[in-house]
Amino acid sequence: MNKKIQRSLAVASAATLIFGVSAVSSAGAAQKTVYLAFQAPLTGPNALTGQDELTGAKFALSEYNATNPAIKVELVLADDQGDPTVAGSLAPGIASNKTIIGLIGPAYSGATQASLPAYKSGGLAMISMSATRVSLTDKKAPVNGFPIFKRVVANDKFQGPALVRYATKGVTSPKVYLVDDISAYGAGLADYAKKTITAAMSAGKDSVPVNTSDYTSVVAKVKASGANVVIYCGYAPDAAKFVKALRDGGYTGVFASGDGTLKADFPVNAGKAAAEGARLTAADVPFENLATAAQMVAYTKLTGIKVPGTYVTSTYNATNIFLTCIKQGSISRPGIQNCITNGTFKGIAGDTIRFDRYGDIIGGAAVGAFTIKDGKIVYGGVA
Amino acid sequence: MNFSVLTTQFWSLCIQGIALGFIYVLISLGYTMVYGVLRLINFANSEVVMVGTFATVVAQVAILKNPATSDPLHGTRLVLTLLFALLFSALACGLLGVLVELVAYRRLRALGTNRLASLISAIAVSIVLSEAVRIYTHSAPVTSPRLLEKWSFGEIAGANFRVDTVMIIVSGGIIFFALDRFVNKSRLGKAIRAVSMSEENSKLMGINLNRVVSLTFFIGGLTTGAAAFFYTTVYETTQFNVGFNLGLAAFTAAVLGGIGNLRGAFYGGLFLGVLEQFSSAILGSQWKSVTVFLVLVLVLLIKPSGIFGEAVQQTRT
Repeated sequence: MNKKIQRSLAVASAATLIFGVSAVSSAGAAQKTVYLAFQAPLTGPNALTGQDELTGAKFALSEYNATNPAIKVELVLADDQGDPTVAGSLAPGIASNKTIIGLIGPAYSGATQASLPAYKSGGLAMISMSATRVSLTDKKAPVNGFPIFKRVVANDKFQGPALVRYATKGVTSPKVYLVDDISAYGAGLADYAKKTITAAMSAGKDSVPVNTSDYTSVVAKVKASGANVVIYCGYAPDAAKFVKALRDGGYTGVFASGDGTLKADFPVNAGKAAAEGARLTAADVPFENLATAAQMVAYTKLTGIKVPGTYVTSTYNATNIFLTCIKQGSISRPGIQNCITNGTFKGIAGDTIRFDRYGDIIGGAAVGAFTIKDGKIVYGGVA
Repeated sequence: MNFSVLTTQFWSLCIQGIALGFIYVLISLGYTMVYGVLRLINFANSEVVMVGTFATVVAQVAILKNPATSDPLHGTRLVLTLLFALLFSALACGLLGVLVELVAYRRLRALGTNRLASLISAIAVSIVLSEAVRIYTHSAPVTSPRLLEKWSFGEIAGANFRVDTVMIIVSGGIIFFALDRFVNKSRLGKAIRAVSMSEENSKLMGINLNRVVSLTFFIGGLTTGAAAFFYTTVYETTQFNVGFNLGLAAFTAAVLGGIGNLRGAFYGGLFLGVLEQFSSAILGSQWKSVTVFLVLVLVLLIKPSGIFGEAVQQTRT
């Protein structure tokens, strides 16, 4: 009961945020203003993901507004805390706000699944920058995003195998222990990672619910299995607790995880020593590797951030797709939907972005490999 | 099902389960003490634990100036720091317990309202506490510094006697023993027992009821605060919603052992800690809650008053 009330209060405060933000407008009298919603965790344990991504959207928007366009675009922030329950209650409010013509996000797969019914009935086009669960674009899945959902990241069909490849790289006779957090994202990624792990390589599997504090029984199993590679499919707060328990329990092998863990606060929460050497993947190439020097200066000036976080690139690309459509005169929900579905767009790296019928990028997107070194995330190329 | 883990990790799971169990024991004492006296479940106790975990972080980081990234401490400084954090958390929770009683129980009790009213007011207090902390911390987890380096005394039959594990078991045992003696032997303890046997008769004997009730909440808070300190020292992280799972587990432990009964809470907590470890290891972590609550239902079906419930009706220790 307690938890439910907590959730509904969170939703109420998030709703206040949405309407509060949408009320703020500095548009000139003659200029027409349209709104794009931005849905991601902006508070809560996963807030950093959303806050990082938001800088990408804001930067794309600042570049657009600097051209003094006929149609002004503003963001409406929707904080779903990365929580499906919050997202499910938040989505109807956004869907019914007809001034919002498109949605950047949601950032998380579980939150996306929970939001889809409302957005589908509202015909609101969405482009996610980081929801990687395969079923979201699988026509056979019971909850898929067709026709409104698109994403600018590689899905877990690509990330799962890349994660296993990277985790076992250079390990002689790898024995992999796979752990997921039973979330829509974690379980989905683990399913695709598992397909790449051969029977000879597999040391075992466990599923530990989100928000668990005590990982000692999992550590006992990892040790009993003789695993030398542990892959965790879940989010950073739990990954931090798990890797700490593993290292405290005497495990010395490789710890690897996916994009849910690739956040600057992962090494902080896990502690420098426990996080050291952790191998992480994400369908993301760091923004600073692709942006021009002038763009980086402008980005830092706008956000105050020197090193952009995870998924800034994909958020920038997702926002620019909407902006391109708006520039072309698509300022209604059906117009935007049509433009995104049939259009061809340019990514920041000059790459061509076109979506297939079910919402994935045609030709796929890159999966990057990262390592934690001295408490910092270091990009090491494509996994 | 995976029984192979037992061949090498049996004793390791036992010792970890007992350590986790002691955290549950200390929290469930908060439930059981109050129930023994008032016959009411103190639903705010879960949030008292949560406040305790934050109090521990405040003691370590803000008061003693050990930032989250600070290196482990050694020698006297370590012992004094840990002792201070333990006392700070226990006192904070003890005082919060008294406050909860004043706000959520006393007036309603004086007015002779329905018992349900106090349950609801306790739930209200718990929501106020967790929401206040949620807003203040932006729902983000807060990390506590690793002040206690997790060295090991050694390994026996695969069981790792790590310093934090040993600390919880030894201190938890001492705290429980002290409380048991206090309730059974001291004058105030006798007053608590008298009130728990009969509120009316104890008033006739000249016992100040309000004082005894406040004292009970204070002691329950103290043990809960100690549990919060141990939790924070082992897991080094906390969050506004940490009380929910801990409170639920400790409440389950109290009911398993027989609520209102100190020794019931003790055995219930330890049993639950070990059961959680073994069910996670053998069946998989996703089955932990299913196993725990299935066992609870079975115990209550066979013995509705909990494992130690009956004996307490007479002695109510």
